[in-house]
Amino acid sequence: MRRIAAVLTLLLVSYPFLIASSAVVVALAAAALLVCLLGILTATPALVVGIVLALAEYAVALWIGGGPPRLAGAVFLGVVLRLLVETADLGRRAHGAALGPGVVGAQLRAWGSTAALASTTALGTAAVCGVASTAVRLPWAPAVAAAGGAVALVGIVLALTAGRIISRD
Amino acid sequence: MTTRLTPLVLSVVTIGAWGLVLGVLSGRAELAVVVLPLLLGLVRVRSARAAIGWSLGRTLSATRLFEGERVAVTVTISAREPVPLLELFEPLPPGLKLVSGRNRGLFTLARDQRLEWRYEVECVRRGLPSFGPVQARLWDRSGLTAGETTMPLPGGLRVYPRPLRLRRLPSPRRMQAFVGNYVAPRVGEGLEPGDIRMFAAGDRVRHVNWRASLRFRQLFVTRYHQERNADVVLMLDTLATAGTPPATTLDASIRAAAALATGYLARKDRVGLIEYCGPFRWVRPSSGRAHHERLLEALLRADVMFSYVTQEVALVPRRILPPQALVIAISALLDPRFDKAIVDLVARGFDLVVLSPSPIPLVRRAMRSSVQTDLACRLWALERRTRTDGLQRLGITIVDWDSDQPLEAALSGLAAARRRVLLR
Repeated sequence: MRRIAAVLTLLLVSYPFLIASSAVVVALAAAALLVCLLGILTATPALVVGIVLALAEYAVALWIGGGPPRLAGAVFLGVVLRLLVETADLGRRAHGAALGPGVVGAQLRAWGSTAALASTTALGTAAVCGVASTAVRLPWAPAVAAAGGAVALVGIVLALTAGRIISRD
Repeated sequence: MTTRLTPLVLSVVTIGAWGLVLGVLSGRAELAVVVLPLLLGLVRVRSARAAIGWSLGRTLSATRLFEGERVAVTVTISAREPVPLLELFEPLPPGLKLVSGRNRGLFTLARDQRLEWRYEVECVRRGLPSFGPVQARLWDRSGLTAGETTMPLPGGLRVYPRPLRLRRLPSPRRMQAFVGNYVAPRVGEGLEPGDIRMFAAGDRVRHVNWRASLRFRQLFVTRYHQERNADVVLMLDTLATAGTPPATTLDASIRAAAALATGYLARKDRVGLIEYCGPFRWVRPSSGRAHHERLLEALLRADVMFSYVTQEVALVPRRILPPQALVIAISALLDPRFDKAIVDLVARGFDLVVLSPSPIPLVRRAMRSSVQTDLACRLWALERRTRTDGLQRLGITIVDWDSDQPLEAALSGLAAARRRVLLR
């Protein structure tokens, strides 16, 4: 599991090089890679920090690279991100545990279907949003900011109030 | 079982929020799209009450073992409905060490599937360890929700003290009236020839010593030593202990007590046990296999019990501590109350031997080696020697035993030590 997570981390930090490969992007990529690998080996919070750095690297690459929106690449990166979070978490849980027959196979199948579903849904949503933005003419940034803020707040409240279980390392 | 959100949800929300914030700041839609698959995973997440669609069973390869032996634990998981990801954890009780396999496992089961999960533990310390309930956690595939439950399963073990090899045992000075393996000084019915005397009316013909009779032209009969058994009382000091489990003075004492009990019972002696922990706990002297079990069970439960109570040896009934018994006191001599008890026993005329497992090597091993430790251990050894010399001057035979060495080696010098005490 940890190997899969490491491969996904490599994909996550190296994709922005296809957009722009400046010194800042490389530096952020190196930092993100190190922290993500540390997070895969130790704890999820460190992985989150690594992903935050990777997203910052992606943002910087997009900002430097400019050009039209690369939605297909963004969906690919989104699927990689989701799989990375899930594989790293399962890798941490499976570390030091006996794995029953079929656990890895079933999990890989589940991740495959998750990736397919998530990419289709993300592409569909992006397409709908694109059409809606041209039709409705809503200012793009404030709408995303409002939606992002709302989702983040609802998610945090949900996570904190729903009685989290204590995770065993 | 209630499924709840896991800390991973918080991580996902954090990443999602960060992506959206970056998207707003940079004015690029890609950053919002990047976190979209991640946030879509949260759509299905909710806390819910779920029925347990699986059951567990546990079997142990053995339930009665000796220290150092291994037991294979097999947990059987049966699913009545599909189980996405089941995490099972069996916390090991103290005294058990994992030697092969894992005591935590992740399993996926289809409907009506049955799985076996196996691991092996070593029993490192005597006692009554129990595996207790299995802790189970049912995860969803994404790891965003999980439900926890515990399943009580039977899993008690009886771990008896490791048997120590003993070929020679301390010989009792006084015998009992029952037939046994000791050659008593008194003559009567037996196998060992004693002396020869003139034939008297009532003597059996088969006792006639024909060689002596032919030589002296008179009838002589051979007399035989009686073969008797003895009462042996093991007095175990559970007032204090030193060292770290499973290498404490009490563990060493209990192993020695088990070995001595086994050895004496094999010689048809009656063996009793007195556990001195302030108040007394005892097992009445008896013989036989059932009694061996009884003694081992008592030793299984023996442990240090803190108490301010100090009972006198005089309070122990005669049937528990017979006057003719050989008393083997097993003590690290850490508590002065036990010293007083053994002095009391000697003063009452008991045939007493003290087997003292030395606490110094055990404590030294548990501590980091340093000049201070060495000095403290040397001072302790001197203090201990002064105490044992004082007791020996009162006529008590003390055998100092380093529990790393064989018990037989420590007991080999006992006969000479007892002779020296007698000569004093």
